[in-house]
Amino acid sequence: MQVKRLILPGAMVAFIVLLALLAPVLPLPDPVRQDVANRLAAWLPGSPLGRDEFGRDILSRIIWGARASLAVAFASAAIACLVGTTLGLLAGWFRGLAEFFAVRTADVVLCFPPILLALLVVTLLGPGTATLILVLSILYLPGFVRVTYAEVLSARGQDYVEAVRALGAPTPRILSRTVLPNIAGPVLVQFSLAVAAAVVVESGLSFLGLGVVPPTPSWGLMIRGARATMEQAPTYLLYPCLALTVTILAMNMLCDALRDAVDRKGGTRAPKLRAVDRILPGLFPTREPAPLLEVQGLTVDIATPGGAIRPVEDVSFAVRAGETLAIVGESGSGKSITATAVMGLLPPVAQVTAGVARFEGRDLLDLPEEERRRLRGGAIAMVFQDPMSSLNPVHRVGDQVAEAIRAHRDVSAAAASQEAVELLKRVGIADPERRARAYPHELSGGMRQRVMIAMAIANRPRLLIADEPTTALDVTVQAGILDLLAQLRRETGMGVVLITHSLGVVAETADEVVVMYAAQVVERGTVAEVFARPLHPYTRALLAAVPEGDAEPEGIPGVVPRPDAWPPGCRFAPRCSFATPICERPQVLEQAGERLVRCIRWKDLA
Amino acid sequence: MALVVAENVEKSFAPRGVFARGKPVRAVASVDAQVARGEALGVVGESGSGKSTLGRLLLGLLDVTGGRVRFDGADLPKPGSAAWKTLRARMGIVFQDPFGSLDPRRSVGAQVGDGLAIHRGGAEPARIAALFERVGLDPLRMGAFPHEFSGGQRQRLGIARALATDPDFLVADEPVSALDVSIQAQVVKLLADLRRDLGLAMLFISHDLPVVRHLCDRVAVMYLGRVMEEGPVREVFARPLHPYTRALLSATPMLDPAKRATRILLPGDPPSPSDPPSGCVFRTRCSFAQAACAETVPALRAFGGPGQRVACIRAEEIS
Amino acid sequence: MLYVAKRIAISLVLVWVVATVVFLALHMVPGDPAEVLLSTGGTSPDPYAVAELRERLGLDRPIMVQYGEFIARLARGDLGTSLVDDYPVAEEILLRLPRTLELILAGTLIAVSIALPAATYAAVHAGGAFDRAASAVAAILQALPVFVLGTLLILVLAQWLRWMPAGGYVPFAQDPGRHLLLLLLPAVAVAKGLAATVFRMARAAVLEQLSRDHVRTARAKGLTPRRVVRRHVVRNAMIPVTTVLGLQMGTLLGGTVLVEFVFNWPGLSTPLLRAVETRDYPMVVGIVLTVSGLFLLINLAMDLLYAVLDPRIARS
Ligand SMILES: Nc1ncnc2c1ncn2[C@@H]1O[C@H](COP(=O)(O)OP(=O)(O)OP(=O)(O)O)[C@@H](O)[C@H]1O
Ligand code: SF4
Ligand code: SF4
Ligand SMILES: [Mg+2]
Repeated sequence: MQVKRLILPGAMVAFIVLLALLAPVLPLPDPVRQDVANRLAAWLPGSPLGRDEFGRDILSRIIWGARASLAVAFASAAIACLVGTTLGLLAGWFRGLAEFFAVRTADVVLCFPPILLALLVVTLLGPGTATLILVLSILYLPGFVRVTYAEVLSARGQDYVEAVRALGAPTPRILSRTVLPNIAGPVLVQFSLAVAAAVVVESGLSFLGLGVVPPTPSWGLMIRGARATMEQAPTYLLYPCLALTVTILAMNMLCDALRDAVDRKGGTRAPKLRAVDRILPGLFPTREPAPLLEVQGLTVDIATPGGAIRPVEDVSFAVRAGETLAIVGESGSGKSITATAVMGLLPPVAQVTAGVARFEGRDLLDLPEEERRRLRGGAIAMVFQDPMSSLNPVHRVGDQVAEAIRAHRDVSAAAASQEAVELLKRVGIADPERRARAYPHELSGGMRQRVMIAMAIANRPRLLIADEPTTALDVTVQAGILDLLAQLRRETGMGVVLITHSLGVVAETADEVVVMYAAQVVERGTVAEVFARPLHPYTRALLAAVPEGDAEPEGIPGVVPRPDAWPPGCRFAPRCSFATPICERPQVLEQAGERLVRCIRWKDLA
Repeated sequence: MALVVAENVEKSFAPRGVFARGKPVRAVASVDAQVARGEALGVVGESGSGKSTLGRLLLGLLDVTGGRVRFDGADLPKPGSAAWKTLRARMGIVFQDPFGSLDPRRSVGAQVGDGLAIHRGGAEPARIAALFERVGLDPLRMGAFPHEFSGGQRQRLGIARALATDPDFLVADEPVSALDVSIQAQVVKLLADLRRDLGLAMLFISHDLPVVRHLCDRVAVMYLGRVMEEGPVREVFARPLHPYTRALLSATPMLDPAKRATRILLPGDPPSPSDPPSGCVFRTRCSFAQAACAETVPALRAFGGPGQRVACIRAEEIS
Repeated sequence: MLYVAKRIAISLVLVWVVATVVFLALHMVPGDPAEVLLSTGGTSPDPYAVAELRERLGLDRPIMVQYGEFIARLARGDLGTSLVDDYPVAEEILLRLPRTLELILAGTLIAVSIALPAATYAAVHAGGAFDRAASAVAAILQALPVFVLGTLLILVLAQWLRWMPAGGYVPFAQDPGRHLLLLLLPAVAVAKGLAATVFRMARAAVLEQLSRDHVRTARAKGLTPRRVVRRHVVRNAMIPVTTVLGLQMGTLLGGTVLVEFVFNWPGLSTPLLRAVETRDYPMVVGIVLTVSGLFLLINLAMDLLYAVLDPRIARS
């Protein structure tokens, strides 16, 4: 798709460049031959676009003008590219003096507004093509230095560059094999940007009469000439304007498309905010005694360029008040999507296609957005994995907690701040008054996660969903956070859904466990039972992989299948050491005493 | 004599730039360490405790700012010198991030063969194929690119690259931390096999204590750039002597309820490495701290089981 | 505070560096500077004129002496006199600068007040009709050189429709209404490039913020969509935008020269262009230094604004 975007502007630019190159061999009238008799003629045989104020052929002048513009632009961009890239490479790799020299030179050039610098040089050297090329290459030098320098620095920090260095590779080898291929893309983008910008500056200077010297045709000069006669001959003004604008437009589009194609992050499509709320329903359904949260048959589809995938399929579980339910599974098993779906925070590409999530009797998946919003952060709160990126870096943490309070309760700002300090104290932050005024980057990882928890419990939620709340933290910090969560659960009686891939954490904190594999629940039951007597081969294998005790940990062969290629029968079959031909048909979740298990052979294996 | 010997090594990072201010960050402070041939030394500690820096110092990828590192009886040459370059063939490194450690633009075969191309004058496909087989990968996939491999397979590729020149010493910097347990176990097993079969000296950096216990002979526990406790894994894990080691062990979640110790929660936050506490660096969070702990830096001294050493002035009373 | 002091110090150093570069520029030209300034094409200039110019510019003295004097005069605000009419350069600049500043200010206000809200709306409703239309307009505006836009505005609005005057200037005190009317078209022309760039940058920045984890947190708190956008998206998105704004001011200042020329706005560009043509070196130097100083000042202001917007900068 991204390559497709290159085609149209690429073809346009190629066409313009080709025209310019072929100008001498095309059957065009001499662009500088004057013919005062036909001054400003709108059309003449052989001059489809007419004649200018000296009776010269306009079409011919436009094509020859392209030649002048592009020659200057490409020459200066090439010089700037060569010199700038070399400087940037040396600066980024050798640092020290080379770095100082190259980066400072670039900084100095950037201190001048471009046209002003150009005018200074023109004063000294007089107008002309050579002056233009010199000026423009100076102007675009810093761009190349900076891009190359930044890319080299970031490449230096990559493990794979360090790996080659650790192998003792000589510097030229590292630069040419490992660093250059990585900077080629950004440098190419910079080159196209420089060419496009050079065309603009060249035409501007020529327009001022300080660039290309007449009678050489140039678009800027043509516009300058046509201005005087624009009332009599407006088309004479419009043609060069059009040529110039279309050329720059095509070049800009090419630059954008190139940049997107080169950008390693790829086109990140950000989610839209949800559509504005539908109308409120009239009545609340009557409450009945039920688990706090009961999820049944939850299924989520995601639209991807290669077709829809189903990262969560028929997932069911229930959490009661005061209880902790853990969801475990390998990366990519669908744990986070399950939680986000329950919260109503799925990205727009993802759709819940089946299932209910009953919270205190009401189906969350069926509520209007405005009501879900009121539940979010109110009765249901969520804590995320990475506390650094999950807090807004530009607001004080106290304000962020207070904001959660005011989103749900009508209290004054002062009261909310006061309460925020109380909450920070409650989650074990020492010196809460001072810390409330801190920004996230001023706190340690553990403290940030405590802030996230303070925010989550601000409105006394009855259900807390924690998605890998300690994965990014050190064990000693993790212990503190898990303790805090357990204490809060005891004190407030809230239910907790804890998503994790650490079986140790599950064993120590949860009452019930749901084991997920490849979008499905494969086993469900109390932690004590499941861990003591796992029924599903996957649960067994996971437990056996934990390095604890004296037994050698056993890995599970193979990898989790990709969501676009689930195995047809039992999804664990390709990795299961108990697989037999009967496993080739899809498995259903069966009741096994108090437990649920998705394996046709569970009885034989028990 | 041990293959790699670090004597009193120290590494400070000065703040960069003309206008930079602030104190240097002391990532590693007077650390003694030894790794013998065929031995695996585990290094554990929290993020920022200087584990990775120590690994790079022992490899000579970073220059020490104090003390010295000896490899096979001789001081490490200066980074970048000719002697340093030839020495590269005898050391290998494996990284944590399975995605950042391979160049996305080069075929995996070429990357695994880099060491051969640099030090053996060429990378014959047969040699590379053998390396692939050694780490449990299909040699037919030599021409593929990194994105076609899973996390665990990439770690295998990283290991193969490090092994290409038959090194004597391997530093594995959290090689399994980014992997799921099921995959982690496969990679740990591979490393254990390699160590046994090739007689590698290995420095295994991790924050996962149970993995270290399985893979290593000895373990060094680091906190804020210093070694708090060191010794054979069995001794240290069975009878931790330093208050920090105890806290670390007690915080590790365990499957087996019988194995769970009462958790020792550390108060406060780790101090900044640019402004470490005087005396014992752990004293701001140690429940046994006394006035004396602030005065002198406790030396790492023999105490406890055979080969066990601890840097705490109150070790006797505490145990 | 330290950050502010540091930024100001850096700006002062840069002003000095700029002055030095401008001073050296004349001496870096191959050949005798006075001869270079007087030469027109192939013919070598009159030796008497060269000698006279050399004396006037003090080129006959040792270079360090010249440099010392140049800096000393600059520090006093003395920019020398024009080679053409002996008029003091500083006075000419003082007369013209306010008019150029007015144009820049009006252009920036127009650009920012249109581009920022449009970008936010377009990004929040990415892919919608408004987004596509606005993005297309921005792309076309970006490709339209200022002088082309200016000339076309005159052609259409002044010549054909006769809604607007084609250009010129009347002091505000003399006729405020006409002054503002005359200001409108040039200000729009100055605004165009900035508006297009700010729109594209701000749109990308808002989109980027929308996908951030902290926005998810804000939504998980139950904030209303309006509040999420205002407090957690726009505020954060402004951080990269200010940087771009500062750098873009260079292009804007250059574009102003062209706009003033097109609309006969008697700002700094009139004496500048005349001076470039007549190779009146002191005048060119004076104006280049003034405008570059202005550019550095704007960038300083942007850096300080940046520090206000992003607490990670000043406080870490
Ligand atoms: N926006 C998306 N577009 C396409 N696929 C997606 C998207 N988000 C998630 N997926 C896929 O859905 C599957 C389940 O993802 P999910 O994040 O729920 O896994 P997880 O169990 O939480 O894993 P982890 O332990 O890594 O957090 C994965 O295969 C993932 O690649
Ligand atoms: S159904 Fe068959 S393949 Fe699947 S887990 Fe059970 S035994 Fe293994
Ligand atoms: S020396 Fe003191 S502070 Fe340090 S660990 Fe021992 S008792 Fe604690
Ligand atoms: Mg997840």
